[in-house]
Amino acid sequence: MDWLFFGEISLAGLAMGGLYALIGLGFVIIYKATRVINFAIGEIMMFAAYLFLAFAGGMEMSPWVALPLAVLGGSLLGGVIEKVMIRPMLGESSISVVMVTIGIASILVGVVEMIWGADPQLLPSFLPRKPVFIGEMYLAPKIAYGFLIGAALLIIYLLYFRFSRGGVALRATASDQAAAYSMGINVRRVFNLAWVFGSLAASLAGVLVAATGGLSPQFGAIGLSVLVVVIVGGLDSIVGALIAGVFIGWLETVAGAYLGGEYRMPATFAVLAVILIFRPYGLFGTHDIERV
Amino acid sequence: MFKRILSKGRRFAGIGTIAASLVAAAPAMAQDKDPIVFGGSIPLSGVFAFAGVHIHAGLTDYTNWINSEGGINGHPVKYVMEDTGYEVDRSVAAFKKITGSNTVPVYYGDSTGFMKTIASELNSRGTTLMSGASFATALTDNEQYPYQFIPGPSYSQMFGIILEYIATQGKDGDMPTVAFVYSDTEFGKDPVENGKAKAAEMGIKVVEEIVTKPGSVDVSAEILKLRRVRPDFVVFHGYVLSPINEFMVQMRQMGLDTQFMGTFWSSDKLIINKMGADADGYMGVMPYNYYDSAEGGPMLDTLRAEAEKSDPDAGYRPTGYMQGWFNAMVWTEVIKRTMDAGKELTAENMAESLASIKDWDTGGIIGIPVTVQDMSFPVGRIWRVNAKEARYEPVSDWIHLD
Amino acid sequence: MRIGDAKQSYEADEAILTSSTQKIWFALFLFALLLFPFLADAYLLYLGCLVGIAVISTTGLNILTGFTGLISLGQAGFMGVGGFTVAWLSANTALPFPVTLLFAGLLAAAVGILVGLPSLRVKGLYLAIATLAASVFLHFIFAEWESVTGGMGGLSLEPAHLFGLTFQSDFGMYFIIVPLAVLMVLAARNVFRTRIGRAFIAIRDRDISAEILGINLLHYKLMSFALSSFYAGVAGGLFAYFFRVVTPESFPLSMSIFYLAAVIVGGMGNLLGGILGAAFMTLIPEALKLLTAALTPFYPNAPIFMSPMLEIIFGALIVGFLIFEPHGLAEIWHRIRRFFSLWPFKN
Repeated sequence: MDWLFFGEISLAGLAMGGLYALIGLGFVIIYKATRVINFAIGEIMMFAAYLFLAFAGGMEMSPWVALPLAVLGGSLLGGVIEKVMIRPMLGESSISVVMVTIGIASILVGVVEMIWGADPQLLPSFLPRKPVFIGEMYLAPKIAYGFLIGAALLIIYLLYFRFSRGGVALRATASDQAAAYSMGINVRRVFNLAWVFGSLAASLAGVLVAATGGLSPQFGAIGLSVLVVVIVGGLDSIVGALIAGVFIGWLETVAGAYLGGEYRMPATFAVLAVILIFRPYGLFGTHDIERV
Repeated sequence: MFKRILSKGRRFAGIGTIAASLVAAAPAMAQDKDPIVFGGSIPLSGVFAFAGVHIHAGLTDYTNWINSEGGINGHPVKYVMEDTGYEVDRSVAAFKKITGSNTVPVYYGDSTGFMKTIASELNSRGTTLMSGASFATALTDNEQYPYQFIPGPSYSQMFGIILEYIATQGKDGDMPTVAFVYSDTEFGKDPVENGKAKAAEMGIKVVEEIVTKPGSVDVSAEILKLRRVRPDFVVFHGYVLSPINEFMVQMRQMGLDTQFMGTFWSSDKLIINKMGADADGYMGVMPYNYYDSAEGGPMLDTLRAEAEKSDPDAGYRPTGYMQGWFNAMVWTEVIKRTMDAGKELTAENMAESLASIKDWDTGGIIGIPVTVQDMSFPVGRIWRVNAKEARYEPVSDWIHLD
Repeated sequence: MRIGDAKQSYEADEAILTSSTQKIWFALFLFALLLFPFLADAYLLYLGCLVGIAVISTTGLNILTGFTGLISLGQAGFMGVGGFTVAWLSANTALPFPVTLLFAGLLAAAVGILVGLPSLRVKGLYLAIATLAASVFLHFIFAEWESVTGGMGGLSLEPAHLFGLTFQSDFGMYFIIVPLAVLMVLAARNVFRTRIGRAFIAIRDRDISAEILGINLLHYKLMSFALSSFYAGVAGGLFAYFFRVVTPESFPLSMSIFYLAAVIVGGMGNLLGGILGAAFMTLIPEALKLLTAALTPFYPNAPIFMSPMLEIIFGALIVGFLIFEPHGLAEIWHRIRRFFSLWPFKN
C-alpha cells in the first residue's frame, strides 16, 4: 500500500471534512435552538456563494470585501426565513416544518435561476494558488486555505457559545425554552439569532466549497452530505457535528479515491444506516425520553 | 378504432392546444403550400438551459432564413416548440401536444432519456424523424431507434476521434497514455466502454478511469490519483464546466504537463469565459466550425449573417446555436430529398433519404463533405483553446471515421 | 351541519358513500373517467395517464405519511423497485401485466418493510433520513447491478399485454392505469374502515399512547410501510409500462419530494386530498406553460423568465399550504361543498 498516497488522500478528505464540520455546526445551532431540521441549508450556502459571485465577479469588489458581504447576506437570509416562514410553523409537527424547509429550498433555487441564470459558474479565485506541502504530502491550496478560514470561524463560534451571553442564552433555550423564558431570556430573539448564526456558518462554508467545486443551481445537493454528518454526530451535539464532519469528509474522499466516485454517497450513507440502527440518536446526540 | 370514430368530436382538443404552441416564425411570404412543421422539446429551463436557449435561437434563425429563401420546395416552415425544463415527462407532454395539433415531420428532442422514451411511440407513429441534443451511442442502433439520428458523431465516435488524434501525438514512437474522467450519469458513462475498446485496439493505454458526481464536487483526491499515474492525456466526458477547471488548475499546479480534452458539450466557449487564462491549451472535439473560427463557406456565412440580424448585440454564438442550426439543415436536406424523390414525408422515407446522404457539402458548417453512417455524422475536428484570443483554434484536420 | 344525515346503523355510518347524492356524483365521476379518453386529444390523454400514476403513488405515500405519520423520502426509490421489476419480468418472462404489476408491488413492499425496520427505534426526522439512505442505496443498486437493471442505460420494455392484447398506445394504457387507480384508492379507503387503518391513525396521533392501547407498533408501522411501498411499486410498474423505458435517473430524489409535496398540498391524511394533490401538482407545469404562451406575444423573453417560476411556485405552494391551509386542497374542497350544502341557510 502506498502510504504517501493514503496520507495525501486523507489530508484532502480531512480538509473537506473541516468544511462539513462548519456546515454541520450551522445545522446544529439551528436545530438546538429551534428544533428545526433545515433541509434548505444547502440552498442557503448556494445563495451566499452566488452573492459572492455577484459582489466579487459582477461588481468587481475585492474578494476580501465580497466574502464578508456575501456571508452577511446569507445570514440575513437565514434570519428572514426564520421570521417569515418558520415562525408561523411553531408548534406544528416536525414533518410539516421539514417540508417547509424543503419548499424554501425550491424557492431559493428558482430565485437563483431567475437572477443569475442556470449556467454553471466559477467563483473568481481569491485563495493563493501555490501548492501546499505538509512534509512530503501535497495538499491543494484551495482546500488548505479554505480549511484554515473555516477552522478560524469554527473556533470563534465555539468560544462564543462557551463564554458569551448570547451563547449561554442559546444553550439555555436549547435545554429548556420555558425556563429560559422565565429567566428573562428573549427566546424569540434567540430563535432568530440561531438562524442567523447557523446560516452564517453555512454561508461561509458555501463560498469556500463553491470556490473549490464550482457553482450551479444544483449546488444545494451538498446538503445531503451534511445531513449524514449531523445524523451521525447527533442532531443536537456541536462536538458531534465537528467529529462527524471531519470523519464523513474523510470517508467520502477515501471511498471515492479507492472504490470510485459512485461509492462516495453509498459509503457515507452506509455509516449513517449503521448509526441509525445501533445509536439512533447519533454518536453524541441526546436521547430524548418521551412521556405521554 | 372506436377511438377514431369518436375522435371527430374532440371537444377537449381545443383546451389542450389553445395558445399551446409558441409559433416562433411566421411564413415570410404568402405561400399557398402547406407549411412544414419543425417541432421541438426545448430545455429553456433546468440544468440544460445554458444550451437550450441557444439551440432555440439557432432553430428560430434557421427557420426565418429558410422562409426568406422560399421555404422547402415552396413549403413555408413553421417552428413550434415548448419548454421542457429538461424533464422527460414534460418533454413527452410537449411532444404529444405539438404532434397532436400539427403534422410534424421532424422533431428536436432535448435529452437522451426523452429520445429513448419516445422511441416506441415514434416507431409506431412512423410520421416523424427525430434528432436533438443527444449524441448518445445507443441511438445509433437502427433496430431499436430507426427514426432517430445524431446530428454529428455519437459520444463513442467523439472518443474515437479524440483517440485518433492522441495516437498521432506520441513522442519517439511511444503511444501516449490516457485517463478518462466522466460523470456518474447515463450521459457520462455512455462512451466509456467503447472508448476503452477502441483505445485497446489502437494500443493506447488507459491508465486511469475516474468517475465523479456531475457538477460541484471536490475532486482533490481524484487529482491525486492522476498525479500518480501521470497520463499524457485526460479526456473529460459528461460535464459542462466543473470539475474540469479544478482538474486542470490543480494538475498544472502540481507541475504536470497533461493535455486536457473534452467532448461536444464540454467544448463550448463557456469554458473559456469562466476559466479565463486557465483554459489555455484545453482541447475539444467539435463536428461544426465554431462561430468565430477563421473558416468560411456559404452556409456558415449565412448563419453568421442571420445570427447578426436576429440579435446584433449577441456577438459570439455558442455551439448550441450551431447545433440547432445544423439539425434544421439536416431536416431540410432530408425533406427536400424525400420530396424530390416524389415520396411522402413518412419517417421511413425520410430515414432512407438521410441514409442516402453521401459526401454532402454543408457549406462550411462542417469543413469537409460528410457521409451518414448508422444515422450519425461521424466527423469532427480537434480544437484547442487560445485563451489570449478567447477562442478555439483547430489543431487537427477534419477526421471522418469509417 | 349537513341536513338529513342521521345514521340508523353502524353499517350506514361506515359506508363509503353515505347519501344518494354522493352515489350519483360518484357514478357520474366514473362515467366521466370512462368517457374522457374518447374525447381527449393525445396530449390530454397523456396527462390523464400521468395523473393516474401520480394518484396511485400519492395515495400510497399518504397512507404512510398522512395516516401513519411516518415521513418518507424513499417513494421514488420504491417506485424504481416496481419499475425495474416490471422491466426485468417483461424482458425475461412472458407474464401478463397484472402479474408483473403484482410482483412489482410485492417486491417494493418487501423492500419497504426492510426500510421500515428502523422505524421502531427511530422516528420523525431520523426516520426520514433512514428512508433517504434507502433511496441512495436503491439508486446505487439500480445503477450498478447491470445484469439485472441494465446499469445507467436502463432497460426498455415491451408493451403491457394480457390475453394476447397489447397496450401500446396511451389510449390503451389509460384503461389500465385509471381503473387501477380507482381500485387502489377505494382499497385504501377500505383499509381505513378496518382495525388496521385505525391503528395507523392512532400511531400517527401518538405512537406511545397507541402502544399502550395494545397496538403492536412494529407490526403496524411495518404494515404501513409495506402497504405504501406496494402502491409505489405498482405506480412504478405502470410508469415503466407507460414510458416503456426505465433508467436509474427515472427515479430521482426530487420525485420523492414531488410526491411529498402532492400529499401536503392535497391534504395529509385525506385520500381525496391525495388525489387532488397529485392532479394539481402534475398539471401545474402545464398550466404554467399555458400562461407562458399567453405572455409570450407581449414579453418575448417570457419562456426564459417563467421557467424558474416553476421552482418558485412549487416551493411556495408547499410553504403556503403548510402555513395557511395545513389541511390542503381537500379542506378547500370541503369548504366549497359546505357552502353549497348550507346555502341558502347561512346568511
